[in-house]
Amino acid sequence: MAACRSPAATSAAKLGVVFALLIINKAGGLIYNHTFAPGLQALNSNDSLILAGTFHGIHAISRTLNPVPPKHSNTSVPNSRNLPTTGIESLESSHFRLTCFQTPTGVKFLLVTSPEQPNADVVVRRCYEIYGDYVVKNPFYSLEMPVRVEKFEKALAGYLVRP
Amino acid sequence: MAGSVYSFYIFDRHTECIYTKRFNSAQPLRPHAAVTSLTKSSLPPTARKALSESDDAKLIFGTIFSLRRMVRQLGGEDDQFLSYRTNEYKLHYYETPTQLKFIMLTDTRVGSMRTVLHQIWATLYVEFVVKSPMAPAEHPGGVGVANEMFEGGLEGFIGSIFPPQPA
Repeated sequence: MAACRSPAATSAAKLGVVFALLIINKAGGLIYNHTFAPGLQALNSNDSLILAGTFHGIHAISRTLNPVPPKHSNTSVPNSRNLPTTGIESLESSHFRLTCFQTPTGVKFLLVTSPEQPNADVVVRRCYEIYGDYVVKNPFYSLEMPVRVEKFEKALAGYLVRP
Repeated sequence: MAGSVYSFYIFDRHTECIYTKRFNSAQPLRPHAAVTSLTKSSLPPTARKALSESDDAKLIFGTIFSLRRMVRQLGGEDDQFLSYRTNEYKLHYYETPTQLKFIMLTDTRVGSMRTVLHQIWATLYVEFVVKSPMAPAEHPGGVGVANEMFEGGLEGFIGSIFPPQPA
């Protein structure tokens, strides 16, 4: 199986397309926004900021809406197996799918893909790694501020844009 | 179909919740996880507890209203919001051409419920509510929606899709 995974075979162009990546800081501000493939509506920077802020709020609300009854775990082990509620992890529409990954520090990675894209959660975690390597480890980058790092752009494009 | 359904809502085109139904009604809808950074800081504990069913409906409406707008902004005018998923529940959405909104909260294992929601509209809502001579054209406060036939039909229909599981 591994032998036949030539670059051409791994190219997922037929399976799915990554349209865009947005990074929202823990205050709800948009710090990175890049479109990798056409297919979405073009948004001006103001609309993108509003969209990021709206999603940030809805993400918080979606946590409070949790209808799942608490598991009756034995009280001797408090909080056993009760994972904390996450907000929206993935959102589907008829044209795209949005995968949201929230890091432990509260940064949200929003990956907009076509609905057929497999393993979007893996892809978005890899984007987080790239962010860690090229943005957070960059001594000239100040946290929570818009990301303008050339090497990050290149690494992301190399990973997300299929030839 | 595996999984379970938690609740079901209908909103009319005036943003009003005209029908609410909960399944597994022994448990409250809002248990442990209501503590978020939002409510923690701004509300005393008693106020948090006081969030009632109607508050849930309002929050759900606000959420889908914003998501619907967001989806249109990103995907274009003809794009439709279908569902979202957290690690604990999944929200399914269906909007009729007359802007009635059908929402169902289920388990995360459940697949697309779009056809089911469409069925509820076409075979239950239209048949038992719209065609009822007693029901008004609009349903302020949910008047005329929760009639016997609709309730019974909905319970039977949901029960056939999600067979009651042994506890």
